[in-house]
Amino acid sequence: MSKDYAVIGKNVPKIDGREKATGAAKYAGDLKFPNMLFGKILTSPHAHAKILSIDTSEAEKLPGVKAVITHKDVPALKYGISPARWDENIFCIDKVRFVGDKVAAVACIDEETCYKALKLIKVEYEVLPAVLDALHAMDEGAPQVHDEYPRNINTEIHQNFGDLDKAMAEAHYIRKDYFVGQRTYQSPIEPHSAVSIWKDNKLTIYSSTQSPHYFQYYIAREFGLKMGDVRIIKPFVGGGFGGKLEPTGLEFAGSVLAKLTGRPVRTFYDRHEMFAHNRGRHKVYMELTTGVDKEGKILGVHANFVSDGGAYTSLGVATSYYAGGLLTLTYEFENYKFDMIRVYTNLPACGAQRGHGAPQPKYAFESHLDNIAKDLGIDPLEIRLRNARQPNTVTINDFGINSCELTACLEKAADISGWREKKGNLPKGRGIGIATGSFVSGAGYPIYRNDLPQSAAMIKVHEDGTAATLYTGAVDIGQGSDTALCQMAAEAMGYRYENMKIIAADTETTPHDFGAYSSRQTLMSGSACKQAGEEIKKQILDIASTIMSLPPDDLDCRLGIIFSKSRPTAKTITFEEAARRFFVLRGPLLGRGVYHVPRLGGTFKGAAVATSPAYSFCAQISEVQIDEETGEVDVCEVWDVHDCGQVINPMQLHGQVHGALYMGVGEAIWEEVLFDDQGKIQNPNLGGYMLPTALDMPIVHSELVESYEPAGPWGVKEVGEGATNPTMGCFNNAIYDAMGVRIDSLPLTYEKVWRAMKEKREGKKEV
Amino acid sequence: MYLPDFDYYAPDSLAETCEALERFGAKAKVLSGGTDIIIKMKSGLLSPEVLISLKKLEDLKKIDYVSKKGVVIGALSTHNDLVNSKILNDRYLSVSEAAHNMASNQIRNIGTVGGNLCNAVPSADLPPILIALGATIKLVGTKGERVMLLEDLFTGPMKTVIAENEILTEIVIPDQSSTGSNYIKFGLRRSGALAVVGIAVAVTVNGGTITEAKIAIGAAAPTPIRAREAEKFLQGKTISDDLLAEAGVIASGESKPISDIRGSAEYRRDLIRVLTRRALYKAINEGHV
Repeated sequence: MSKDYAVIGKNVPKIDGREKATGAAKYAGDLKFPNMLFGKILTSPHAHAKILSIDTSEAEKLPGVKAVITHKDVPALKYGISPARWDENIFCIDKVRFVGDKVAAVACIDEETCYKALKLIKVEYEVLPAVLDALHAMDEGAPQVHDEYPRNINTEIHQNFGDLDKAMAEAHYIRKDYFVGQRTYQSPIEPHSAVSIWKDNKLTIYSSTQSPHYFQYYIAREFGLKMGDVRIIKPFVGGGFGGKLEPTGLEFAGSVLAKLTGRPVRTFYDRHEMFAHNRGRHKVYMELTTGVDKEGKILGVHANFVSDGGAYTSLGVATSYYAGGLLTLTYEFENYKFDMIRVYTNLPACGAQRGHGAPQPKYAFESHLDNIAKDLGIDPLEIRLRNARQPNTVTINDFGINSCELTACLEKAADISGWREKKGNLPKGRGIGIATGSFVSGAGYPIYRNDLPQSAAMIKVHEDGTAATLYTGAVDIGQGSDTALCQMAAEAMGYRYENMKIIAADTETTPHDFGAYSSRQTLMSGSACKQAGEEIKKQILDIASTIMSLPPDDLDCRLGIIFSKSRPTAKTITFEEAARRFFVLRGPLLGRGVYHVPRLGGTFKGAAVATSPAYSFCAQISEVQIDEETGEVDVCEVWDVHDCGQVINPMQLHGQVHGALYMGVGEAIWEEVLFDDQGKIQNPNLGGYMLPTALDMPIVHSELVESYEPAGPWGVKEVGEGATNPTMGCFNNAIYDAMGVRIDSLPLTYEKVWRAMKEKREGKKEV
Repeated sequence: MYLPDFDYYAPDSLAETCEALERFGAKAKVLSGGTDIIIKMKSGLLSPEVLISLKKLEDLKKIDYVSKKGVVIGALSTHNDLVNSKILNDRYLSVSEAAHNMASNQIRNIGTVGGNLCNAVPSADLPPILIALGATIKLVGTKGERVMLLEDLFTGPMKTVIAENEILTEIVIPDQSSTGSNYIKFGLRRSGALAVVGIAVAVTVNGGTITEAKIAIGAAAPTPIRAREAEKFLQGKTISDDLLAEAGVIASGESKPISDIRGSAEYRRDLIRVLTRRALYKAINEGHV
């Protein structure tokens, strides 16, 4: 970042750091209101069952119970987040579709009474055979999860670009590989909570959400309310990672309970319920076939995937398109076929998780590419350099790439990790692997069809000029957008970050923004904030010109000091003086900004998904140490080199890389949601679901390359999700380098490594 | 997840505690650190009508060295008491480390040694090393007290010989004739993981010969087990890499692990083979750690 900037490119203190560090910050589950009730949802104990009857009479008699509701008390309108497939009901009507499906809810004077009341609700089920294996969901005669979707096919994609048959016919070498991903869960540290207040035909919900806008839209739709009569407020949020993008039973059931009782109702999930609600990563079964020329240049790729979507759609339509759509980003090839079927199963619904749809296909492709490199005798770094995406290119599926420094990322990662010295020279048991990643800087189109701008912002300068408040719909869920956006606003205004205040993510007081997903806010919300700041600056320089008797064009403002550009010795005035004067003469000093994405992408079916104004790129190298006898994987060190355009806040940026890597490392080696043969989760808690601990984390080196993105404000683009994409493939390649075994399913557990080494020793498996 | 209703007693003395236990019989459960029983009650696996807390039995919270007896560990000592005990750090660091590698710091602060043993979870970390060191336990009931080897405590998963009116009061690690001991836990991550297998050994070496060996294994069978065949095999043999490897093979053959979400039986058996060898090697070369 250029030294010319006064506020951006710097490590300012996080705007909410003190509140969070001292414990003063209030999350949705901390909120208390007079007369507040507690609400809990009764869920299904069966993976698939007909509801024969529900008897709530005993629960209603229990002292302290204020309301008991079932499907009879709520709208029957189906909802979802992907408009192509609205397939959920607030409460199940005829049958339940997974262990954890919503059946009824209670509102009580305290939490304990809720649990007692839930036990008193008698539900009679007729258990049905369940579909628990995605690969058999499409079988003739398999149980149907939804009658409307024959053979349990939820999403089916067949895309064909270029001439794959011709490419394969001309290829020097063709290889086919098969890989399997796993179900993982985002595991945000803050459980989902919501407080619903329905008073005088107005519904207000405080919710742990990534997107007040989508909550507002879908909740208004469900209850037939005007959007203006639904207010969604985001308190502090302790992480989302894709799992808090859509309203849940907490908001829907909570709203109805609030309306019936006339009292605020707090609803919440415990950790087990979070795992059951899920919306985590899909398990994808991935077959890849690639043809290359003698030099390892990729000529054509066929990606043929099946994914386990669980019982409902959630964001799975987009996930499915992303899974193949994003595979064209990091390597240039002109022929591509992408087939994908997302099936329904009687398991918790999957959705968007950090790196939306991309990490598992990336794991498969990066492992596959290493196999090809080995077969051709090409160094894994070299084959990636030969195929690396270049700037100002268009992918075969019509994504326009502006800035792209992937080659520089690969070179730098190789340099700082010592790739060329280490590769082939490490002792047995130690290995080094490489992989690349790329991600959108904001989805080019909103989740439901509309023509709203992606983001809008407003700045109001305090009457005496000593503070300025940024009003933005952007959503800080821990990633630090409030801080970065205040930096951007202050820079554009010529003001000081320390004097910035922010009001964010409240649909009633802040302007529209779609929220925190698809790594969109620094570029998109940032554009709107920059524009709002520039409007303030223009007005402040205009009034200053009358005070200073200098033409406005000759004035500039930096860190709150207004000065003449041509006359360095001319007397300066302060922003405060000018702002105060402005208010006295002209009224409130306001700035407005709005950001629209230009029309992006092709015209084929699904062309909109994975379009973006800009794409980040990154290269990762990792080093592992394998215990040759036990298979234990020690993830020693990782080097991540990111092309994320220009940087607004370096510390937050590197924090995002560390966080993304943390999740990637966890999904690579440890994490998997496991089910028994009845569809019950076997490890729905942080003891059984193996998130890596601090002791398990590798040493992380996060580095950048020089890059400027013309589509982003001040040249910015994505960082928060991209670093998750290469990690699983990168570790698989490092394990391969260490032991000569290829693990073809995630996670790359100690036992799988042990087994692969054993099979190799016993000559059972050709590698 | 909520705690069902129950009656709560916190007697002032051991005698009153045993009387209360006798009075309530099967309706009552003992509450020590509560890190296991409270979870089970919340999730509906247990619903005792009465909880009898040991919190007032201050005498049971101690770690002392008693001459001619050994290291005496009161049953109410927390895991972190074991971690931080200078007596254990100096004499049997493995016991401190076994405690240190359990669960999380919060749990180590309230979970107790007595609870860990009486809970009788096959994968528990403390039993193998204490068994290898020949630890004894004292059970006190209304009709008196009895002392037995710790290894005789367990009868199955979550099952022990403790009678309804008895509580475990202390564990004694006797002065060692063995010359080296240690515990190797194999978990799926470095903190907050249950043992996939846990191997403890205590060996007595004279010159280049093993005169006695004890091998205790956790998560290898319904209870912590001794690998007696492997122990017998080692006795009187001259130390060599092959010898230790063979002992690992034998110990592995004696184990009866199950498959669960943490590992298959096949994997566990192979881990036992490898880690038994490593634990023996370490005990021979590094003494008591």
